[in-house]
Amino acid sequence: MLDYFLKRLLGLIPTLLMVAVLVFLFVHMMPGDPARLAAGPEADETVVQLVRHDLGLDKPLPQQFMHFFVNVLRGDFGTSMVSKRPVSEEIASRFMPTFWLTITSMLWAVILGLAVGMVSAVWRNRWPDHLGMMLAISGISFPAFALGMLLMQVFSVNLGWLPTVGADSWRHYILPSITLGAAVAAVMARFTRASLVEVLQEDYIRTARAKGVPESLVVVKHGLRNAMIPLVTMMGLQFGFLLGGSIVVEKVFNWPGLGRLLVDAVGMRDYPVIQAEVLLFSLEFILINLLVDMLYAAVNPTIRYQ
Amino acid sequence: MKHTIKRNALVAAVLLAGTGSVWAAKDVVIAVASNFTTLDPYDANDTLSQAVAKSLYQGLFGFDKDMKRVNVLADSYEVSKDGLTYTVKLHPGVKFHDGTQLNAEAVKINLDRASNPDNHLKRYNLFKMIDKTEVVDANRVKIMLKAPFSAFINNLAHPAAAIISPAALAQYRKDIGFHPVGTGPYQFVTWNQTEFVKVKKFDGYWRPGLPKLSSITWRPVVDSNTRAAMLQTGEATFAFPIPYEQAKVLAGNSKLDVMTASSIQQRYISLNVTQKPFDNLKVRQALNYAINKTALIKVAFSGYAVPAEGPVPPTIDFAARYQPWPYDPAKARELLKEAGYPNGFTSPLWSSHNHSTAQKVLQFVQQQLAQVGVKVTVTAMDAGQRAAQVESVGVKDTGVRMFYTGWSASTGEADWALSPLFASPAAPPKQFNTAFYSNPQVDDDLSAALATTDRAEKQKFYQDAQDRIWADAPWIFLTTERLLSASSKQLSGFYVMPDMSFNFDHADLQ
Repeated sequence: MLDYFLKRLLGLIPTLLMVAVLVFLFVHMMPGDPARLAAGPEADETVVQLVRHDLGLDKPLPQQFMHFFVNVLRGDFGTSMVSKRPVSEEIASRFMPTFWLTITSMLWAVILGLAVGMVSAVWRNRWPDHLGMMLAISGISFPAFALGMLLMQVFSVNLGWLPTVGADSWRHYILPSITLGAAVAAVMARFTRASLVEVLQEDYIRTARAKGVPESLVVVKHGLRNAMIPLVTMMGLQFGFLLGGSIVVEKVFNWPGLGRLLVDAVGMRDYPVIQAEVLLFSLEFILINLLVDMLYAAVNPTIRYQ
Repeated sequence: MKHTIKRNALVAAVLLAGTGSVWAAKDVVIAVASNFTTLDPYDANDTLSQAVAKSLYQGLFGFDKDMKRVNVLADSYEVSKDGLTYTVKLHPGVKFHDGTQLNAEAVKINLDRASNPDNHLKRYNLFKMIDKTEVVDANRVKIMLKAPFSAFINNLAHPAAAIISPAALAQYRKDIGFHPVGTGPYQFVTWNQTEFVKVKKFDGYWRPGLPKLSSITWRPVVDSNTRAAMLQTGEATFAFPIPYEQAKVLAGNSKLDVMTASSIQQRYISLNVTQKPFDNLKVRQALNYAINKTALIKVAFSGYAVPAEGPVPPTIDFAARYQPWPYDPAKARELLKEAGYPNGFTSPLWSSHNHSTAQKVLQFVQQQLAQVGVKVTVTAMDAGQRAAQVESVGVKDTGVRMFYTGWSASTGEADWALSPLFASPAAPPKQFNTAFYSNPQVDDDLSAALATTDRAEKQKFYQDAQDRIWADAPWIFLTTERLLSASSKQLSGFYVMPDMSFNFDHADLQ
């Protein structure tokens, strides 16, 4: 197992290098000249040329690529063209708020989703099931933007219980994580129901009941554990997406996160920031996939890797 | 007895200190629309970063809340007869935040830095006409230009022309954008890159009795509804801009004031006069008659704009005022028939921005033009596309035909409102003359106005230029915007200026 884990980790490096090449080419093919964008609409041609030289964009493309590649290997991701700060600093200052928001959203979304899904599966086609699935549909259909604004209006403006913007205290995490978690919880609920319903039909469940195992233990220990594999996959994917920063929630709650950074960088064609963030997201997804694969082995002991 | 007196004195002192600090804590939070790019005014091309820099920096001249030019660090100035030499007399006894003295040497260091293209500063444009700067004595500096440029003092009044402490420049060099040191009423505390810029009262400020506030926290909040919510919860003391739909809600709140101000932001659709059918004057006139500006203002700007009264907004120095083009679709159709297009024509209509207001304007204009037979296909561009397809492309290859955009002449005078938009050399990719308008008489007027320092002469040249432009109609002249902001009733003296910067010299909190 450990061998497998280490082999996967080593395989990270060539993958990331390939992603670096692809993202560099892709980003430089986007229409729009970063120098002109950075210089602003009131600048004339001379100023744009000054800015272009300042940003190193007047060098030939292969030279720019070598520069970028060599620096990436040393861990230097360059300086943002917009803010002139090192890219690693820009990302580092935004990573932790995004990370904690993702953790809090996933935590309650998974717990709530699993609970609602289990209830729906066990009391299939009766009123708890209908109620649960209705909640799930609303969770998915209600746009996150509208939900966030609604929660802010009710809880911050009208009731005054919670703050509106920023990420300073634990209170600031409540509304954004509810907004983000709503869609995740809804998806979890539906997946749990589907997976658990299938598992509960199996013979070994009948055997467990026949043995005299209490019903709650049958569902949780025997049923849920076997239903976990698709759920773990789903959780991994959702976690990966949320870690990229939800631009909508970050916009409404002014969350200092990675999503806004990426959108602003794309708008201004801030190449170093875009390249570094895409590399970061690739790394995150690869690591999460690895973790999920490890979890499969933990959940289902019959799975073994060479 | 002795102990009681001592103890009472101590209690009284603590109480006084306590009340003293309560009285002094006048902290305000200003919620603004976007992040700041830099705190170096010479390298910022967005109004917001320059507005924040205004709390820390001052220039030789400035603008009051109505865009009238005033003296700030300069007491007076003289200009030579040939218009090449400006002698500026500085206000004595002004100190920078780091304790060093403001003198002619400091001004020279700043202007030398700004006019040197090797520094790659984004606002180099405003200073490129400076030949050299000389120190006459401790409080007098002489600035010599390469050619006469009568709008020069207005350039020095632009928020970019701030005087930075030479000691700080020497210490921080390129990082001066992260460590601002100026002569302004507030000094720099911190810049949390993701959240806010905080500045606090500078006790050594040269204007007595000011500033009244203890600190200002500038907070970028991108979503306009969130900004409005922050005002209502009290997390922000002032917010700009406010979405039009929220104006009524906020006005109904007893703790808030909603304010409208005139602006120098104009909106127009430029017509590429080098391409058919826009090379025909009758077509351009027809398009101007075809748009109902009052309705447009209601639909897209919720009433917060006025129809354009000239190529230059009225608050700009030397602006000429005309009657807005009336809404007359019958006349528009007639003119199109006379021009040879009885069934109208088709054309692409591009927009420089893709936010919701621009989308509304595009759809409205599309419908209005359809009623006179002109069918337009609409494309709202983002910054990247605009840079690639409009700003970087010259007249031979450009796809620009009808282009909805805006302009704000941040030096407050007519040259910056006319030259980058109507002068022949200002066509893209050089500058922003997206109509590719070229009229030699207008070009002559604009250069002649810059060469003379006599106000009456300038007024004549600018009037003639604007008369010709208004008659030639290279644009569909649309609107001049009004700016909507809101603040807590306890805050006074904090205004949005016509150039969308802020004026807060006398701001106070109850």
